[in-house]
Amino acid sequence: MTFYFGDILPYLPVMLEALWVSIYVTLGSFFLGSVLGVFVYLGRDSSAKPLRVLAGGFIEVFRNTPLLVQLYLIYFGLPEIGINLNPLWSALLGMTLNNAAYTAEIFRAGIQSVPDGLREAASALGMRFSQTFRYIVLKPAVRNVLPSLTNQFIVLFLFSSVGSVISLNELTATLQDLNQQTLRTLEVFTFGAGLYYLTSAAIAWSSRLAERTLFRW
Amino acid sequence: MFDFGQFMPPLIRGALLTIFLCVVSGALGTLIGLIFGIARSAPLAVVRWLAAIYTNFIRGIPILIILLFMYFALPLMFPAATFDRGVTAIVGLSVYSGAYMAEIFRGSIEAIPRGQLEAAEALGMHYLLKMRYVVMPQALKIAVPPAIGFLIALVKASSLVSVIGFTDLTRAGRIITSQNHLPLVTFVIVAALYFIISYPISLFGRWYERRLA
Repeated sequence: MTFYFGDILPYLPVMLEALWVSIYVTLGSFFLGSVLGVFVYLGRDSSAKPLRVLAGGFIEVFRNTPLLVQLYLIYFGLPEIGINLNPLWSALLGMTLNNAAYTAEIFRAGIQSVPDGLREAASALGMRFSQTFRYIVLKPAVRNVLPSLTNQFIVLFLFSSVGSVISLNELTATLQDLNQQTLRTLEVFTFGAGLYYLTSAAIAWSSRLAERTLFRW
Repeated sequence: MFDFGQFMPPLIRGALLTIFLCVVSGALGTLIGLIFGIARSAPLAVVRWLAAIYTNFIRGIPILIILLFMYFALPLMFPAATFDRGVTAIVGLSVYSGAYMAEIFRGSIEAIPRGQLEAAEALGMHYLLKMRYVVMPQALKIAVPPAIGFLIALVKASSLVSVIGFTDLTRAGRIITSQNHLPLVTFVIVAALYFIISYPISLFGRWYERRLA
């Protein structure tokens, strides 16, 4: 057993480019999914029962089925009813919906973590609902959801590797190509694992830094 | 039309294999997690570091990479480690769950108030006695809800063993679509079967948490 990275080093730019694909698919679907997640959360907590049932069903379905099957449904299943999406859009759509279900629950937990007493005090002071939300609830809620959101972002980044199965050319797919091209199996997968680890560690680290500096309220 | 008579039996078989895979690797992962989770508070610093490296590294890479590594690279490192797909899947998923379970156990061990540990020390208990009679009985109870949460994640992550050619529920669905060319309805059924496996676990977790509160 010997490690020889000489053969795969020329492919470093290819791997970094593929890593960038993984990152921007994650960024895109995390952003879109979090916006959608706010609406799913609002539906989940709304006073209209049909909305509650719909949002609750969406959350349970997406949280209790694998992302891989969701991507298969979008990539292989939707063309059956005339919707053809390429691997990139399929992955974006699937990861966005998946992420929305998780962030909706994170937002709900974040809002619930703000003590009822604060809200009651605000309404006793004559604040309207929107004022209460803006000035009382929002800040502690954001602070409370930050660690869970970071965690969800890292999980989403790691599961972007599933995109390789529907032939999205992100890092994992590229590693498998390089494995076949160079036959440096050990080195390719070790190096790839290292890239994934460093990226997720960097995300975790910068989020902790942001919590300590930007969100010190 | 989806031929239920022809295609349901292989899907059910796949679902049972998925359940089997999750039960075995979940149990092995819990065992690994228990060892490494306790090691995170070991008196010896080297032990703590090694456990921290394992938990943090594995949690920083995708399960798909772990499985591909086990399947393609491990046999090259150790020719003796040439397993069939089922064993590779179980080993990969166990290594994966071990890291997450270790983190869960570490968290619940650290949730035990320091005062109790000091009290145990004052009573002259050494490390093992302290863990056995003071820390673990309480920590294990705290660990149940997050462990159930991880079990659900494991059921879903197990779908990736289909990529290394193990015929679990997901791969059974893939094979069937190549025969009936009805991916939409086939994968809806596959998703429904995953839901049937996973949702009761979610409900149990919620019930347990309510009972605990």
